[in-house]
Amino acid sequence: MTLLNPLLLLFGLLAVPILALYMLKLRRREVAVSSTLLWQQVLRDRQANAPWQRLRRNLLLFLQLTILAALVLALARPALRLPVVASGSVVVLLDASASMNATDVTPSRFEVGRAAARRLIEGLANGAQMTLIAVKAQPQILVAREDDRDELRRALAAAIPSEGAANWETALALAAAAAVGSETVTTVIISDGGLPSEGLPPIPGEIRYLPIGHSGENLAVSALALRPSGNTVELFVGVSNYGDSERLAVLSLYRNGALLTAQEMSVPAGKQAQLSLYDLPSDAAVFQARLSPAAGETADVFPLDDAAFAVYQPPRKGRALVVTANPNGNFFLEQILTVMPGITPFRSLSQPGDAPKLPAEPFDLYVFDGYLPAELPEGPLLIINPPPTLLFSTSGVFSDTGKVEIADDPLTAYVDWSNVHVLRARQVQPPPWAKVLIRAEGGALVFAGEDNRRRIAVVTFDLRDSDLPLHVTFPILFANLLDYLATGQTFEAPDGLQPGSGLTIRLPAEAQKVVITSPRGSVYILESGEGRLTFDQTDELGVYAMNYLGRDSSFADFFAVNLFGTGESEIAPRQSIRLGRATLTAAAPTEMGQCELWPWLAALALAVAMMEWWVYHNRQAGKVRLMDKMAGSVR
Amino acid sequence: MLFDESTLRKLNQLTLVASQLRSGVLKGERRSTKRGSSIEFADYRNYIPGDDLRRLDWNVYARLDQPFIKLLEEEEDLAVHALIDASQSMQWGEAENDKWRYVLQLTAALGAIALAAGDHFTVGILKRGGGLSQYGPARGQAHLTRLLHFLEQQQPHGVTDLDQSAREYLLQPRRAGLAFLLSDLFDPNGFESALSRLQGRGYEVVILHVLSPDEIEPPLTGDLRLVDVESGQAQEVSLDGGLRALYRRRLQAWQKAIRTHCHKRGARYLPLVTSTPWDKVVLYGMRQAGIVR
Repeated sequence: MTLLNPLLLLFGLLAVPILALYMLKLRRREVAVSSTLLWQQVLRDRQANAPWQRLRRNLLLFLQLTILAALVLALARPALRLPVVASGSVVVLLDASASMNATDVTPSRFEVGRAAARRLIEGLANGAQMTLIAVKAQPQILVAREDDRDELRRALAAAIPSEGAANWETALALAAAAAVGSETVTTVIISDGGLPSEGLPPIPGEIRYLPIGHSGENLAVSALALRPSGNTVELFVGVSNYGDSERLAVLSLYRNGALLTAQEMSVPAGKQAQLSLYDLPSDAAVFQARLSPAAGETADVFPLDDAAFAVYQPPRKGRALVVTANPNGNFFLEQILTVMPGITPFRSLSQPGDAPKLPAEPFDLYVFDGYLPAELPEGPLLIINPPPTLLFSTSGVFSDTGKVEIADDPLTAYVDWSNVHVLRARQVQPPPWAKVLIRAEGGALVFAGEDNRRRIAVVTFDLRDSDLPLHVTFPILFANLLDYLATGQTFEAPDGLQPGSGLTIRLPAEAQKVVITSPRGSVYILESGEGRLTFDQTDELGVYAMNYLGRDSSFADFFAVNLFGTGESEIAPRQSIRLGRATLTAAAPTEMGQCELWPWLAALALAVAMMEWWVYHNRQAGKVRLMDKMAGSVR
Repeated sequence: MLFDESTLRKLNQLTLVASQLRSGVLKGERRSTKRGSSIEFADYRNYIPGDDLRRLDWNVYARLDQPFIKLLEEEEDLAVHALIDASQSMQWGEAENDKWRYVLQLTAALGAIALAAGDHFTVGILKRGGGLSQYGPARGQAHLTRLLHFLEQQQPHGVTDLDQSAREYLLQPRRAGLAFLLSDLFDPNGFESALSRLQGRGYEVVILHVLSPDEIEPPLTGDLRLVDVESGQAQEVSLDGGLRALYRRRLQAWQKAIRTHCHKRGARYLPLVTSTPWDKVVLYGMRQAGIVR
């Protein structure tokens, strides 16, 4: 045992004033008695067992000196040397991913990990620093380079496990950054082993691994998907067994909270069982799949993935304004816009000879054919046969439109240009933000891109100068472009999100802000003039409600956050992990840390103080009782 | 007044009992061991020439033809002495528990009994170095009022020295008799030599050991400096439950030692607590102890 502050033992000299005070306190009360004859004999009798009697008489003094001794010793901070996993400066990476919520160890993997981290704090050498990092989707530094144990304990106590995956790459980068400048740093990874098997960067210094958990038995809803099918909706649900033995469970499916069906499913070890439902109504709805143990089965140790959510939202129709230089309009263009699902086209009316006028109300898509206004409206643009504009530079026309190259892009999916002929096209220099989708020998025919968060697609030729509208490629290309430009969805999350991932929201033209309510009721208000928002507070599993608020209207949308594909459902703990080229196995406590004893001494001082109070109080009460008794007997 | 009329009437019916009869000077209402001219028959003895022929039992002589002298019990008075410890420690106890007043009441009661029985009654106030104060010897009920008056005049003071006081008391020629020693016996030199001295002079001694309740169970606790009211000596003591228990045991051992000593020396010992009414002590306690009948 060592004393960390031995000089503070000098406080032990306080015993002198205590003794002095005690002796002063012993100024005796003078009482007259008829005779001291018997008292003298009594005191002579007492000499026989004097030491014990003296001790009893001085019990309060003894207790007070004990309190002082305990407090002085506590101040001197005695410490025992104990074997610990890591000594010196330590960086602790505490896994706070969803799988750490598993209850195969009591009370949970995260709490066991927290206790292990607490032991590291207790064993921290005097003056050594510790950095605590909670590893989640966005790793969080709980406390950095701190040597105050109280601060470390507080930071550790404030850590909470997330419901998402862990981003170990970022966490290890943070750990490496925390180690910079320290000569000897030990990094301790407290985890159930859900680290990627490869691709993690090596980090400097010693690395120790403390595995948590012992069971891999877990049954999870591993898929929940919805697909439109004609006028109905199909639902697909998958239940996976990640354990080593066949499991029996009841799968319940709900639509807007109402039970659709409940089935008992048997899922073999390591396999997935599936269930599909057809002919579901096609109106907007929230679907939920929930697993519960079948009769006789034990409860799942990882309940987070026993429920999954999916949202079906029928496509919303966007409004497109068609402005064409030709007073008679563009027949092909209007036809294709009319037949496209999710688009309602409007034509801009203008007098022959006059420049077309744009209505003041906003549209979800502007289609300009051979014309561009001086001031471009807000919103996505489809520009056909562009006149000279500030958006990009144009320089005449070109007619060598052969030798077409089609870029590999979702916008050119299924596009076949082999039989398409273009008479001439405008010579346009594609801007840096654009990607050329279809390029001919003389220049770009079609390009698209995002400029200042506004999507723009450009077709450099007049449709009437080509036979494109006569080919099947025409609706395919325009469907792709219109999907890109004017999708009815305000966000893209067809199969839901993973926890912690960001969601990009396109504010509809009529909406000014969006209010998002999380599954546990947290409310986020997003406002932007840019038309695009990013929401990344998706740490909770479940259904998020989005309310778009406009001046005169509002509408709601939903999205779901599930654990699908995060790997968190595979809760089997790993006894070894790979970091760089090193393989780490469970670390044994081999180094010497120190366990400070002052809290115990402080507790002892408190207990003795309470005892001293009790003894004193008891004596006082005894005096009063005796006086009363004697008064009674004299009466 | 130390007692009322009805108590006095009860007292007048009592007689003090001495286990050994003492020869008196005056004819009293008490049998003596001396055979004499009384009318109560005691025994016969052979005639010796010179014997008073009036005491010859002629009936026996006629029947047996031998002269026998008839012995008759002589009735005598008894000398009763009340020796009161008048040290300062006797002035102790609150109100009716005051030892001094209690002792005076007992003395008055003994006096009433003795005077009513025609005994010689003497009161001696034992004060160390303070000279002897005494009343009597007195005989006859007429003295009762004066006795009470005398008692009410007395005040205790000074320290206890029973032996010295007894010696002073015995300096004057007195008729030995039944001596009551009324004291708390808080004498550092003990009571034994005083007892020996009295018994050596032919006194039959009854010790009435008077203590107040707070001397039996002291209402004290804490760190104290006990000051002796007699000597002014101080004794420091830290009183707790254990020490009080020790005191009680010590007191009992002390009283037992006194009792044993008295028993061995043929003296009678009666421990009294002032919380017990004095008349009950006289009418029942002393009767039970054979001191009165």
